[in-house]
Amino acid sequence: MTMNLFNQFLSPTFLGLPLIAIALMAPCLLYPSPAPWWQSNRWTTLQNWFIGSFIKQILSPINTKGHSWALLLATLMVFLITLNTLGLLPYTFTPTTQLSLNMAFAVPLWLAIVIMGFRNSPTHALGHLLPEGTPTPLVPILIIIESISLLIRPLALGVRLTANLTAGHLLIQLVSSAAFSLLLSQTTAASLAVSLLLLLTILEIAVAMIQAYVFVLLLSLYLQENV
Amino acid sequence: MMSRLVILSANSLKGSGPFGAGLVHASRSLHTSSQSRAPVPPLPETGGKVRHGIFPEEIFQLLYPKTGVTGPYMLGTGLITYLLSKELYVINNETLSAICIFSVIIYGVKKFGPSVAAFADKLNEEKLAKAQEVKDLAMSGLTQAIENEKKEQWRVEGRAMLFDAKRNNVAMLLETNYRERLHMVTNEIKRRLDYQIALQHLNRRLEQEHMINWVEKSVIGSITPQQEKESIAKCIADLKMLAKNTQAKATV
Repeated sequence: MTMNLFNQFLSPTFLGLPLIAIALMAPCLLYPSPAPWWQSNRWTTLQNWFIGSFIKQILSPINTKGHSWALLLATLMVFLITLNTLGLLPYTFTPTTQLSLNMAFAVPLWLAIVIMGFRNSPTHALGHLLPEGTPTPLVPILIIIESISLLIRPLALGVRLTANLTAGHLLIQLVSSAAFSLLLSQTTAASLAVSLLLLLTILEIAVAMIQAYVFVLLLSLYLQENV
Repeated sequence: MMSRLVILSANSLKGSGPFGAGLVHASRSLHTSSQSRAPVPPLPETGGKVRHGIFPEEIFQLLYPKTGVTGPYMLGTGLITYLLSKELYVINNETLSAICIFSVIIYGVKKFGPSVAAFADKLNEEKLAKAQEVKDLAMSGLTQAIENEKKEQWRVEGRAMLFDAKRNNVAMLLETNYRERLHMVTNEIKRRLDYQIALQHLNRRLEQEHMINWVEKSVIGSITPQQEKESIAKCIADLKMLAKNTQAKATV
Protein backbone atom coordinates (compact mmCIF):
# COMPACT_ATOMS: atom_id res chain seq x y z
CA MET A 1 0.00 0.00 0.00
CA THR A 2 2.87 2.38 0.82
CA MET A 3 4.46 1.68 -2.56
CA ASN A 4 1.21 2.60 -4.26
CA LEU A 5 0.90 5.87 -2.42
CA PHE A 6 4.31 7.14 -3.48
CA ASN A 7 3.99 5.97 -7.07
CA GLN A 8 2.38 9.29 -7.97
CA PHE A 9 5.66 11.08 -7.20
CA LEU A 10 7.80 8.98 -9.52
CA SER A 11 9.22 10.91 -12.44
CA PRO A 12 6.93 9.93 -15.34
CA THR A 13 8.30 7.72 -18.06
CA PHE A 14 6.68 6.07 -21.03
CA LEU A 15 8.33 2.99 -22.47
CA GLY A 16 11.54 4.08 -20.88
CA LEU A 17 11.38 7.63 -22.25
CA PRO A 18 11.36 10.33 -19.61
CA LEU A 19 8.35 12.54 -19.87
CA ILE A 20 9.50 15.10 -17.33
CA ALA A 21 10.35 17.58 -20.08
CA ILE A 22 6.78 17.48 -21.37
CA ALA A 23 5.46 17.70 -17.83
CA LEU A 24 7.44 20.88 -17.32
CA MET A 25 6.80 22.52 -20.70
CA ALA A 26 3.19 21.56 -21.35
CA PRO A 27 1.49 23.79 -18.74
CA CYS A 28 2.82 26.90 -20.48
CA LEU A 29 0.73 26.01 -23.54
CA LEU A 30 -2.40 26.74 -21.56
CA TYR A 31 -1.72 30.47 -21.54
CA PRO A 32 -2.86 32.61 -24.48
CA SER A 33 -0.01 34.46 -26.06
CA PRO A 34 -0.53 38.20 -26.25
CA ALA A 35 -2.16 39.29 -29.48
CA PRO A 36 -0.85 42.05 -31.70
CA TRP A 37 -4.13 43.92 -31.55
CA TRP A 38 -4.90 46.60 -29.05
CA GLN A 39 -7.83 45.21 -27.09
CA SER A 40 -7.33 41.60 -26.06
CA ASN A 41 -9.86 38.94 -25.18
CA ARG A 42 -10.96 38.17 -21.62
CA TRP A 43 -8.28 35.59 -20.90
CA THR A 44 -5.43 37.84 -21.94
CA THR A 45 -6.91 40.83 -20.14
CA LEU A 46 -7.30 38.81 -16.95
CA GLN A 47 -3.80 37.39 -17.07
CA ASN A 48 -2.36 40.82 -17.83
CA TRP A 49 -4.24 42.27 -14.92
CA PHE A 50 -3.15 39.45 -12.63
CA ILE A 51 0.53 39.68 -13.50
CA GLY A 52 0.47 43.47 -13.41
CA SER A 53 -1.16 43.74 -9.99
CA PHE A 54 0.97 40.91 -8.58
CA ILE A 55 4.21 42.55 -9.67
CA LYS A 56 3.07 45.99 -8.48
CA GLN A 57 2.34 44.56 -5.07
CA ILE A 58 5.45 42.47 -4.73
CA LEU A 59 7.94 45.04 -6.02
CA SER A 60 6.53 48.01 -4.09
CA PRO A 61 8.84 47.63 -1.06
CA ILE A 62 11.92 47.08 -3.24
CA ASN A 63 13.94 50.03 -4.48
CA THR A 64 14.36 50.78 -8.17
CA LYS A 65 17.51 48.76 -8.62
CA GLY A 66 15.69 45.59 -7.68
CA HIS A 67 12.95 46.17 -10.26
CA SER A 68 15.04 44.39 -12.87
CA TRP A 69 13.96 41.20 -11.10
CA ALA A 70 10.34 41.82 -12.09
CA LEU A 71 10.33 39.49 -15.08
CA LEU A 72 11.99 36.67 -13.18
CA LEU A 73 9.63 36.88 -10.24
CA ALA A 74 6.54 37.12 -12.43
CA THR A 75 7.58 34.14 -14.52
CA LEU A 76 8.43 32.12 -11.44
CA MET A 77 5.10 32.90 -9.84
CA VAL A 78 3.06 32.00 -12.91
CA PHE A 79 5.07 28.80 -13.43
CA LEU A 80 4.75 27.62 -9.85
CA ILE A 81 1.08 28.42 -9.56
CA THR A 82 0.33 26.62 -12.83
CA LEU A 83 2.28 23.52 -11.88
CA ASN A 84 0.74 23.40 -8.43
CA THR A 85 -2.86 23.82 -9.53
CA LEU A 86 -2.58 21.51 -12.52
CA GLY A 87 -1.19 18.81 -10.24
CA LEU A 88 -4.50 18.69 -8.41
CA LEU A 89 -6.23 17.19 -11.43
CA PRO A 90 -6.46 13.41 -11.37
CA TYR A 91 -3.69 11.28 -12.87
CA THR A 92 -1.36 14.26 -13.28
CA PHE A 93 2.22 14.58 -12.23
CA THR A 94 3.24 17.60 -10.16
CA PRO A 95 6.84 18.52 -10.85
CA THR A 96 6.97 20.73 -7.77
CA THR A 97 6.70 17.67 -5.55
CA GLN A 98 10.24 16.82 -6.60
CA LEU A 99 12.81 18.24 -4.22
CA SER A 100 15.29 18.49 -7.08
CA LEU A 101 13.15 20.99 -8.97
CA ASN A 102 12.43 23.14 -5.95
CA MET A 103 16.05 23.20 -4.82
CA ALA A 104 17.03 24.01 -8.40
CA PHE A 105 14.83 27.08 -8.12
CA ALA A 106 15.68 28.04 -4.55
CA VAL A 107 19.47 27.65 -4.38
CA PRO A 108 20.55 29.61 -7.49
CA LEU A 109 18.12 32.45 -6.87
CA TRP A 110 18.98 32.74 -3.17
CA LEU A 111 22.71 32.47 -3.88
CA ALA A 112 22.48 35.11 -6.60
CA ILE A 113 20.71 37.47 -4.22
CA VAL A 114 23.23 36.89 -1.41
CA ILE A 115 26.27 37.28 -3.67
CA MET A 116 24.74 40.43 -5.18
CA GLY A 117 24.19 41.80 -1.68
CA PHE A 118 27.73 41.01 -0.57
CA ARG A 119 29.23 42.42 -3.73
CA ASN A 120 27.33 45.70 -3.88
CA SER A 121 27.29 46.67 -0.20
CA PRO A 122 29.18 44.12 1.93
CA THR A 123 28.89 46.05 5.20
CA HIS A 124 25.16 46.38 4.78
CA ALA A 125 24.81 42.69 3.95
CA LEU A 126 26.97 41.69 6.91
CA GLY A 127 24.95 44.01 9.10
CA HIS A 128 21.93 41.82 8.55
CA LEU A 129 23.64 39.14 10.59
CA LEU A 130 23.13 41.13 13.78
CA PRO A 131 19.72 42.59 14.60
CA GLU A 132 19.62 46.08 16.09
CA GLY A 133 19.49 46.51 19.81
CA THR A 134 20.83 43.15 20.95
CA PRO A 135 22.48 43.11 24.37
CA THR A 136 26.29 42.78 24.17
CA PRO A 137 26.74 39.30 25.77
CA LEU A 138 24.40 37.77 23.21
CA VAL A 139 26.24 39.19 20.18
CA PRO A 140 28.57 36.24 19.32
CA ILE A 141 25.84 33.64 19.69
CA LEU A 142 23.39 35.74 17.72
CA ILE A 143 25.80 36.18 14.82
CA ILE A 144 26.23 32.42 14.55
CA ILE A 145 22.47 31.89 14.77
CA GLU A 146 21.77 34.53 12.13
CA SER A 147 24.35 33.11 9.71
CA ILE A 148 22.90 29.64 10.17
CA SER A 149 19.45 31.05 9.42
CA LEU A 150 20.88 32.75 6.35
CA LEU A 151 22.44 29.54 5.07
CA ILE A 152 19.33 27.50 5.75
CA ARG A 153 17.11 29.77 3.65
CA PRO A 154 17.45 27.92 0.32
CA LEU A 155 16.85 24.62 2.05
CA ALA A 156 13.80 26.05 3.74
CA LEU A 157 12.45 27.48 0.50
CA GLY A 158 12.81 24.27 -1.43
CA VAL A 159 11.71 21.92 1.29
CA ARG A 160 8.71 24.06 2.23
CA LEU A 161 7.29 23.88 -1.26
CA THR A 162 8.10 20.19 -1.68
CA ALA A 163 6.75 19.18 1.70
CA ASN A 164 3.51 21.14 1.38
CA LEU A 165 2.65 19.76 -1.99
CA THR A 166 3.77 16.23 -1.29
CA ALA A 167 1.84 16.15 1.95
CA GLY A 168 -1.25 17.49 0.25
CA HIS A 169 -1.13 14.97 -2.54
CA LEU A 170 -0.47 12.12 -0.14
CA LEU A 171 -3.42 13.14 2.02
CA ILE A 172 -5.68 13.28 -1.00
CA GLN A 173 -4.54 9.79 -2.01
CA LEU A 174 -5.02 8.44 1.50
CA VAL A 175 -8.43 9.88 2.10
CA SER A 176 -9.70 8.97 -1.35
CA SER A 177 -8.46 5.40 -1.05
CA ALA A 178 -10.04 5.17 2.39
CA ALA A 179 -13.32 6.48 1.04
CA PHE A 180 -13.12 4.15 -1.96
CA SER A 181 -12.50 1.06 0.07
CA LEU A 182 -15.33 1.95 2.46
CA LEU A 183 -17.70 2.91 -0.35
CA LEU A 184 -19.53 -0.39 -0.71
CA SER A 185 -19.44 -1.80 2.82
CA GLN A 186 -19.85 1.16 5.19
CA THR A 187 -21.46 3.89 3.09
CA THR A 188 -21.94 6.45 5.89
CA ALA A 189 -18.27 6.35 6.83
CA ALA A 190 -17.50 6.61 3.16
CA SER A 191 -19.70 9.69 2.85
CA LEU A 192 -17.86 11.25 5.80
CA ALA A 193 -14.59 10.49 4.06
CA VAL A 194 -15.92 11.98 0.82
CA SER A 195 -16.91 15.18 2.60
CA LEU A 196 -13.45 15.26 4.14
CA LEU A 197 -12.03 14.78 0.68
CA LEU A 198 -14.04 17.73 -0.63
CA LEU A 199 -12.77 20.00 2.12
CA LEU A 200 -9.27 18.69 1.58
CA THR A 201 -9.51 19.45 -2.14
CA ILE A 202 -10.52 23.03 -1.43
CA LEU A 203 -7.63 23.30 1.04
CA GLU A 204 -5.21 21.89 -1.48
CA ILE A 205 -6.25 24.39 -4.14
CA ALA A 206 -5.62 27.16 -1.63
CA VAL A 207 -2.31 25.64 -0.51
CA ALA A 208 -1.13 25.27 -4.10
CA MET A 209 -1.65 28.95 -4.80
CA ILE A 210 -0.40 30.15 -1.44
CA GLN A 211 2.79 28.09 -1.55
CA ALA A 212 3.71 29.47 -4.95
CA TYR A 213 3.04 32.98 -3.67
CA VAL A 214 5.06 32.39 -0.50
CA PHE A 215 8.03 31.12 -2.48
CA VAL A 216 8.13 34.23 -4.63
CA LEU A 217 7.34 36.52 -1.70
CA LEU A 218 10.24 35.20 0.35
CA LEU A 219 12.58 35.61 -2.59
CA SER A 220 11.41 39.20 -2.96
CA LEU A 221 12.01 39.74 0.76
CA TYR A 222 15.57 38.44 0.48
CA LEU A 223 15.98 40.68 -2.54
CA GLN A 224 14.72 43.68 -0.61
CA GLU A 225 17.33 43.09 2.08
CA ASN A 226 20.20 42.73 -0.33
CA VAL A 227 19.63 45.14 -3.18
CA MET B 1 11.35 26.47 -22.08
CA MET B 2 9.27 28.96 -20.27
CA SER B 3 9.44 31.25 -23.25
CA ARG B 4 5.69 31.54 -23.51
CA LEU B 5 5.41 32.44 -19.84
CA VAL B 6 8.23 34.93 -20.25
CA ILE B 7 6.53 36.37 -23.31
CA LEU B 8 3.24 36.78 -21.59
CA SER B 9 4.85 38.18 -18.44
CA ALA B 10 6.90 40.58 -20.51
CA ASN B 11 3.90 41.64 -22.52
CA SER B 12 1.74 42.25 -19.53
CA LEU B 13 4.52 44.13 -17.76
CA LYS B 14 5.28 46.15 -20.89
CA GLY B 15 2.61 48.65 -20.26
CA SER B 16 3.14 49.02 -16.54
CA GLY B 17 5.32 51.99 -15.91
CA PRO B 18 8.84 51.79 -14.54
CA PHE B 19 9.08 48.01 -14.52
CA GLY B 20 8.41 47.51 -18.17
CA ALA B 21 10.93 49.80 -19.80
CA GLY B 22 13.52 47.21 -20.55
CA LEU B 23 11.18 44.40 -21.45
CA VAL B 24 9.73 45.65 -24.73
CA HIS B 25 12.43 44.15 -26.92
CA ALA B 26 12.02 40.61 -25.65
CA SER B 27 8.67 39.99 -27.28
CA ARG B 28 9.52 41.16 -30.78
CA SER B 29 12.62 39.03 -31.13
CA LEU B 30 10.81 35.72 -31.45
CA HIS B 31 9.08 36.48 -34.78
CA THR B 32 5.96 34.57 -33.87
CA SER B 33 3.67 36.68 -36.08
CA SER B 34 3.86 37.68 -39.70
CA GLN B 35 4.88 41.19 -38.67
CA SER B 36 2.28 42.97 -40.74
CA ARG B 37 -0.12 45.16 -38.86
CA ALA B 38 -2.52 46.35 -41.56
CA PRO B 39 -5.11 45.60 -42.73
CA VAL B 40 -6.11 43.68 -39.62
CA PRO B 41 -8.82 41.13 -40.42
CA PRO B 42 -12.02 41.53 -38.40
CA LEU B 43 -11.98 39.47 -35.21
CA PRO B 44 -14.85 37.33 -33.92
CA GLU B 45 -16.74 38.98 -31.07
CA THR B 46 -17.14 35.85 -28.94
CA GLY B 47 -15.26 32.58 -28.68
CA GLY B 48 -16.35 29.31 -30.22
CA LYS B 49 -19.66 28.00 -28.98
CA VAL B 50 -19.44 25.06 -26.58
CA ARG B 51 -22.01 22.80 -25.01
CA HIS B 52 -21.64 21.77 -21.37
CA GLY B 53 -18.52 23.84 -21.09
CA ILE B 54 -16.09 21.65 -23.02
CA PHE B 55 -17.65 20.02 -26.06
CA PRO B 56 -17.54 22.23 -29.16
CA GLU B 57 -20.79 22.82 -30.96
CA GLU B 58 -19.18 21.60 -34.21
CA ILE B 59 -19.29 17.96 -33.07
CA PHE B 60 -23.05 18.20 -32.55
CA GLN B 61 -23.47 19.82 -35.96
CA LEU B 62 -21.26 17.15 -37.50
CA LEU B 63 -23.30 14.25 -36.12
CA TYR B 64 -26.70 15.85 -36.57
CA PRO B 65 -27.42 14.67 -40.17
CA LYS B 66 -26.71 11.03 -39.36
CA THR B 67 -27.83 10.62 -35.78
CA GLY B 68 -30.04 13.58 -34.97
CA VAL B 69 -30.09 15.48 -31.69
CA THR B 70 -29.27 12.61 -29.32
CA GLY B 71 -26.37 11.31 -31.42
CA PRO B 72 -23.42 12.84 -29.56
CA TYR B 73 -24.96 11.97 -26.19
CA MET B 74 -25.32 8.35 -27.22
CA LEU B 75 -21.74 8.42 -28.43
CA GLY B 76 -20.58 9.77 -25.10
CA THR B 77 -22.58 7.30 -23.06
CA GLY B 78 -21.42 4.39 -25.20
CA LEU B 79 -17.82 5.46 -24.96
CA ILE B 80 -17.96 5.71 -21.18
CA THR B 81 -19.72 2.38 -20.83
CA TYR B 82 -17.15 0.74 -23.12
CA LEU B 83 -14.24 2.14 -21.15
CA LEU B 84 -15.74 1.06 -17.83
CA SER B 85 -16.91 -2.38 -18.83
CA LYS B 86 -13.67 -3.36 -20.50
CA GLU B 87 -11.79 -1.89 -17.54
CA LEU B 88 -9.80 0.29 -19.87
CA TYR B 89 -10.50 2.92 -17.27
CA VAL B 90 -10.32 1.40 -13.79
CA ILE B 91 -12.40 2.99 -11.07
CA ASN B 92 -10.08 3.49 -8.13
CA ASN B 93 -9.40 6.08 -5.43
CA GLU B 94 -8.28 8.61 -8.02
CA THR B 95 -11.78 8.56 -9.49
CA LEU B 96 -13.16 9.78 -6.19
CA SER B 97 -10.59 12.56 -5.96
CA ALA B 98 -11.33 13.37 -9.63
CA ILE B 99 -15.03 13.66 -8.83
CA CYS B 100 -14.22 15.96 -5.92
CA ILE B 101 -11.85 18.25 -7.79
CA PHE B 102 -14.11 18.50 -10.83
CA SER B 103 -17.16 19.28 -8.73
CA VAL B 104 -15.17 22.03 -6.97
CA ILE B 105 -13.96 23.42 -10.29
CA ILE B 106 -17.44 23.34 -11.86
CA TYR B 107 -18.95 24.96 -8.79
CA GLY B 108 -16.30 27.68 -8.86
CA VAL B 109 -16.79 28.37 -12.57
CA LYS B 110 -20.57 28.45 -12.30
CA LYS B 111 -20.57 30.69 -9.27
CA PHE B 112 -17.73 33.11 -10.08
CA GLY B 113 -17.65 32.83 -13.86
CA PRO B 114 -20.02 35.67 -14.74
CA SER B 115 -18.51 38.09 -12.23
CA VAL B 116 -14.97 37.37 -13.44
CA ALA B 117 -16.10 37.79 -17.04
CA ALA B 118 -17.78 41.08 -16.12
CA PHE B 119 -14.56 42.19 -14.41
CA ALA B 120 -12.50 41.37 -17.50
CA ASP B 121 -15.03 43.22 -19.64
CA LYS B 122 -14.86 46.17 -17.26
CA LEU B 123 -11.07 46.29 -17.61
CA ASN B 124 -11.41 46.30 -21.38
CA GLU B 125 -14.15 48.92 -21.22
CA GLU B 126 -11.98 51.19 -19.09
CA LYS B 127 -9.16 50.89 -21.59
CA LEU B 128 -11.56 51.68 -24.42
CA ALA B 129 -13.11 54.55 -22.48
CA LYS B 130 -9.70 56.14 -21.91
CA ALA B 131 -8.94 56.08 -25.61
CA GLN B 132 -12.44 57.29 -26.42
CA GLU B 133 -12.00 60.14 -23.96
CA VAL B 134 -8.78 61.18 -25.63
CA LYS B 135 -10.51 61.09 -29.00
CA ASP B 136 -13.52 63.03 -27.69
CA LEU B 137 -11.33 65.65 -26.08
CA ALA B 138 -9.37 66.06 -29.28
CA MET B 139 -12.57 66.41 -31.29
CA SER B 140 -14.14 68.88 -28.92
CA GLY B 141 -10.89 70.84 -28.87
CA LEU B 142 -10.89 70.97 -32.65
CA THR B 143 -14.57 72.05 -32.88
CA GLN B 144 -13.83 74.72 -30.29
CA ALA B 145 -10.90 75.86 -32.41
CA ILE B 146 -13.18 76.03 -35.47
CA GLU B 147 -15.70 78.14 -33.57
CA ASN B 148 -12.98 80.43 -32.32
CA GLU B 149 -11.69 80.84 -35.86
CA LYS B 150 -15.16 81.72 -37.15
CA LYS B 151 -15.54 84.25 -34.36
CA GLU B 152 -12.22 85.78 -35.27
CA GLN B 153 -13.32 86.06 -38.88
CA TRP B 154 -16.52 87.81 -37.83
CA ARG B 155 -14.43 90.09 -35.68
CA VAL B 156 -12.28 90.95 -38.66
CA GLU B 157 -15.40 92.06 -40.58
CA GLY B 158 -16.37 94.32 -37.78
CA ARG B 159 -12.91 95.80 -37.62
CA ALA B 160 -13.61 98.21 -40.52
CA MET B 161 -16.64 99.52 -38.66
CA LEU B 162 -14.50 99.90 -35.59
CA PHE B 163 -11.92 101.90 -37.48
CA ASP B 164 -14.63 104.13 -38.98
CA ALA B 165 -16.08 104.80 -35.57
CA LYS B 166 -12.66 105.57 -34.23
CA ARG B 167 -11.93 107.84 -37.13
CA ASN B 168 -15.23 109.65 -36.55
CA ASN B 169 -14.40 109.99 -32.90
CA VAL B 170 -11.07 111.53 -33.66
CA ALA B 171 -12.56 113.91 -36.23
CA MET B 172 -15.17 115.00 -33.70
CA LEU B 173 -12.52 115.60 -31.11
CA LEU B 174 -10.49 117.67 -33.53
CA GLU B 175 -13.56 119.67 -34.55
CA THR B 176 -14.47 120.30 -30.93
CA ASN B 177 -10.97 121.36 -30.16
CA TYR B 178 -10.91 123.74 -33.13
CA ARG B 179 -14.24 125.27 -32.13
CA GLU B 180 -13.05 125.72 -28.63
CA ARG B 181 -9.95 127.50 -29.72
CA LEU B 182 -11.94 129.66 -32.12
CA HIS B 183 -14.32 130.57 -29.34
CA MET B 184 -11.42 131.38 -27.05
CA VAL B 185 -9.78 133.54 -29.68
CA THR B 186 -13.05 135.40 -30.31
CA ASN B 187 -13.48 135.99 -26.62
CA GLU B 188 -9.99 137.32 -26.22
CA ILE B 189 -10.32 139.68 -29.14
CA LYS B 190 -13.69 140.93 -27.87
CA ARG B 191 -12.16 141.51 -24.48
CA ARG B 192 -9.38 143.57 -25.94
CA LEU B 193 -11.75 145.56 -28.17
CA ASP B 194 -14.08 146.17 -25.20
CA TYR B 195 -11.14 147.46 -23.32
CA GLN B 196 -10.33 149.88 -26.07
CA ILE B 197 -13.96 151.03 -26.24
CA ALA B 198 -14.11 151.50 -22.51
CA LEU B 199 -10.90 153.46 -22.73
CA GLN B 200 -12.32 155.74 -25.41
CA HIS B 201 -15.55 156.25 -23.47
CA LEU B 202 -13.56 157.14 -20.48
CA ASN B 203 -11.50 159.57 -22.50
CA ARG B 204 -14.61 161.26 -23.97
CA ARG B 205 -16.28 161.52 -20.59
CA LEU B 206 -13.20 163.04 -19.06
CA GLU B 207 -12.96 165.54 -21.89
CA GLN B 208 -16.66 166.34 -21.57
CA GLU B 209 -16.47 166.89 -17.86
CA HIS B 210 -13.37 168.88 -18.18
CA MET B 211 -15.01 171.06 -20.85
CA ILE B 212 -18.16 171.52 -18.78
CA ASN B 213 -16.15 172.42 -15.76
CA TRP B 214 -14.13 174.88 -17.80
CA VAL B 215 -17.26 176.41 -19.34
CA GLU B 216 -18.95 176.65 -15.93
CA LYS B 217 -15.92 178.14 -14.38
CA SER B 218 -15.54 180.67 -17.16
CA VAL B 219 -19.27 181.52 -17.06
CA ILE B 220 -19.28 181.83 -13.31
CA GLY B 221 -16.12 183.86 -13.57
CA SER B 222 -17.64 186.12 -16.16
CA ILE B 223 -20.64 187.00 -14.03
CA THR B 224 -19.72 190.45 -12.58
CA PRO B 225 -21.16 191.52 -9.29
CA GLN B 226 -23.29 194.18 -11.04
CA GLN B 227 -24.94 191.55 -13.21
CA GLU B 228 -25.42 189.39 -10.16
CA LYS B 229 -27.30 192.13 -8.31
CA GLU B 230 -29.46 192.88 -11.37
CA SER B 231 -30.34 189.23 -11.87
CA ILE B 232 -31.19 188.75 -8.19
CA ALA B 233 -33.43 191.89 -8.30
CA LYS B 234 -35.12 190.59 -11.41
CA CYS B 235 -35.68 187.25 -9.82
CA ILE B 236 -37.28 188.85 -6.78
CA ALA B 237 -39.54 190.99 -8.97
CA ASP B 238 -40.56 187.88 -10.95
CA LEU B 239 -41.23 186.02 -7.80
CA LYS B 240 -43.41 188.80 -6.42
CA MET B 241 -45.39 188.90 -9.63
CA LEU B 242 -45.83 185.21 -9.56
CA ALA B 243 -46.94 185.32 -6.01
CA LYS B 244 -49.49 187.98 -6.87
CA ASN B 245 -50.77 185.92 -9.80
CA THR B 246 -51.18 182.83 -7.75
CA GLN B 247 -52.83 184.72 -4.95
CA ALA B 248 -55.21 186.16 -7.48
CA LYS B 249 -55.91 182.76 -8.97
CA ALA B 250 -56.44 181.28 -5.55
CA THR B 251 -59.04 183.85 -4.49
CA VAL B 252 -60.89 183.51 -7.80
